[in-house]
Amino acid sequence: MKIESDPTIATDMAADRAGPGFAAKMFDVILRMRAVVALVLLVVLFSVSTSTFLTANNLTILAKHVAITAILAIGMTFVVLTGGIDLSVGSVAGLAGMVAGALLTRGLVFSGMQHPLYPGILTVVFVSLVVGALVGLLNGLLVVRFAVAPFIATLGTLYIARGAALLISHGATFPSLGGEAARHNTGFLLLGQATLFSVPLPVWIMIALAIVASVLASKTPFGRHVYAVGGNERAALLSGIRVGRVKLISYVISTVCAATVGLIIASQLEAAHPATGESFELNAIAAVVLGGTSLMGGRGSVLGSLAGAFVIGVLADGMVMLGISEFWQMVIKGVVIVLAVAVDQLQTKLQLRLARSH
Amino acid sequence: MRFRGIIALALCGFCGLLAGCHTNRANQKKLIEIIVPSQDNPFFRAEADAAAERARQLGYAVRVDSHGDDAYEQDNLIDVAIASNAAAIILDNAGADASISAVRRATRAGIACFLIDREIGASNIAKAQILADNDQGARLVAAEFARALDGRGDYAELLGKESDTNAQVRTKGFHAILDADKGMNLVSAQSANWSQSEAFQKTETILEAHATIRGIIAGNDTMAVGAVAAVKSAGLRGVTIVGFDGSPDALAAIKAGDLEATVLQPAVTIARLAVQEADQFLRTGTTGHAERQIIPCELVTAQNVDEFGVFEKKSD
Repeated sequence: MKIESDPTIATDMAADRAGPGFAAKMFDVILRMRAVVALVLLVVLFSVSTSTFLTANNLTILAKHVAITAILAIGMTFVVLTGGIDLSVGSVAGLAGMVAGALLTRGLVFSGMQHPLYPGILTVVFVSLVVGALVGLLNGLLVVRFAVAPFIATLGTLYIARGAALLISHGATFPSLGGEAARHNTGFLLLGQATLFSVPLPVWIMIALAIVASVLASKTPFGRHVYAVGGNERAALLSGIRVGRVKLISYVISTVCAATVGLIIASQLEAAHPATGESFELNAIAAVVLGGTSLMGGRGSVLGSLAGAFVIGVLADGMVMLGISEFWQMVIKGVVIVLAVAVDQLQTKLQLRLARSH
Repeated sequence: MRFRGIIALALCGFCGLLAGCHTNRANQKKLIEIIVPSQDNPFFRAEADAAAERARQLGYAVRVDSHGDDAYEQDNLIDVAIASNAAAIILDNAGADASISAVRRATRAGIACFLIDREIGASNIAKAQILADNDQGARLVAAEFARALDGRGDYAELLGKESDTNAQVRTKGFHAILDADKGMNLVSAQSANWSQSEAFQKTETILEAHATIRGIIAGNDTMAVGAVAAVKSAGLRGVTIVGFDGSPDALAAIKAGDLEATVLQPAVTIARLAVQEADQFLRTGTTGHAERQIIPCELVTAQNVDEFGVFEKKSD
C-alpha cells in the first residue's frame, strides 16, 4: 500500500531527496508509513501467537469487520481534511438502519390506504442513504452558514439522529429484515451477507469506495479544494475556492458513508436496532488519525485512513483471539491511538528540520 | 522510494521467517467461548467467572469476551469464535431479535451455542436456552412486598429499560400479585432504565410528589439500591423497598436493614449448567435436556440472607 501524495507531501519529498543523513530519511519514511508498519507488525505478532489468525477464513472475517470502520473512516477523511470533525456518523448509521428496518417490515402507510405500501429494496437503500445525506447537509449548514464549531454541530446531530432512530420504533428492534416474496421486498440480506469470489460484499463496497474516494481526493479539482480549505482556509477563499460548498459536500460524503455502514450492519444482523453504531465515530476518527491525516486539516489521505482502519480491526480481532482481557484491550487500543498522534507531531517536527537543513 | 522498498522487503522476509517457525500444536484443548454483556457488572461477571471456572475444570480452553449490549459487537465476537474453531459458545445475548442471525451462523459453522440468562426469539437453533424464571421471581418478591406492607398503602414502581423483555415480564409478575390486593395502591410507575443514578433521581422526585408512599418495588437491585439512597437522603423512615437479582449490594443492604427483600437469580447455577450441558453435548451429541430450561429464583430476606453468596446459594 502506498500513501498517496498530496501537494504538501510532494514538497516534503523534494526536501527528502536533497536532505541530509540516511538515518534521518529512513526514520522519516518509517514515520510516514506508520499505519502500514504497525499493521505488518500486528499481523506478524498475531500470526505467530495464534494458529488460527493467518487462515483464509479468518482473514475474510477480518476484512468484513474492517470494512465497517474503513467505510466510516473514508468518509470522515474528507471532513477532517477540511479541518472539521464528524461525531454524528455512529448515530447516522443507527438511523439509516432503522429507516430501512421500518420501510422493510412496516412499510409506508398513507391515510386512506387499506394496506401499507412496501417499497422495493433499491428504494429502501436509496431512501436510507438520502436520510443519511440530509443529516450531513444539516451538519454542513450548521458549520458553514451558522458558523457552529464542527465538534459542537456534529455533537448536536449525534443526539438528534440517535433520538430519531429511537423514536422510529420507540426503542424496539425491527426483526427479520429478510422481506417477504408477497411484498416484493426480499433481498436486503444480500447487502451484508452475499459474497463475490468468496469475498463478502461489504469488503467489495469498501474497496470500491476507497478507490472512488482516493481518486476524488487526489485527482479532481474538488479534492484539491478540500486540501486547500484545510491547509489555509483564508488563502483558499482568496484564491476563489467556494469554501462553504467544499465543506458542505465533505459532510454529506461522511454521513452517506455512515448510512451505508448502517445498512450493511442491519443486513448482517437481519435486524435493525436503534442503538447500533454507538461510539463508532471514535473508531473512525482513530482510524483517520492512525492513517496520518492531521486533525488540523490539509494533510493526509484516504488510503492512509484505510490502513488505519485495518490497524484498528486487526488489533481488535487479534486481541480477542489471543484471549486478552477486555480491560487490557481498551488500554492497548488507547496506547496505540495516543502513540499515533505523538508520532504525528514527531513527523511534523522532523519534516520541518529536514526542510530547514536543505 | 528506494528505502520503502528495502523496508518492505525486510519485513516480508521477517514475516516469512516467522511463518516458517510457526508450528501447529497437536491435541490442542477444545475452546469454549463465553460471551456476556459486560465484565464490569457483578451479575455478568459472576456468570462469566462461573462458566469459565467450570469449563477449565472440564478440560477446555476458555475465552471470555463481552459485547456491551451491542448486537454488532456480538456479531463480530461470534465471527472470531468461528474463525478460532471454538467447540461451543456460552452466550448471554445482546437482544432477542438482533442475536438470531449470529447464533444461526455459529450453529451452521458447527459450533454448539448455549444461551444463558436471556432468550432469543427463535427455537431449534441454540442447543439450549437456560433462563431464570423472571415471572415466578417477580411474583415471589411482590408477595413478600405486600406482606411487609400488610397489604395496604401507597407504593411506587421503578421499571427497567422498557425495550427489555425482562423488564416487561417482571412488571407483569409484580402486578399479577399486587393488583389482586385491593389495599395496594400504585401512585407512580417510572422507568429508571436499570440505572442506580436514574433510580435515585426518579425516587427523589416521586417522594417529593407523593408524601404518602410506604413502599417502592424495583425491577432490579441496582435501581432498588438507588431508591434506598434517595429515601435515606430524604430522611424518611419506614419505606419498604424490594428489588430483583440478588446482587451483592442488595444482600448488604438487606443485612443493614435498608432493603426488605430481593429474589436471587441463579446466574452462577445457570452458567455452570450451560457448560456442563455443552460438555455433555460435545461428548455424546446430545444435552439430554429440552432446549428451554427455566430455573426458579429464590426469595432473599433478612432471615435467610446469610445463606447466599454472589448470585448463588452457598450450599450449591
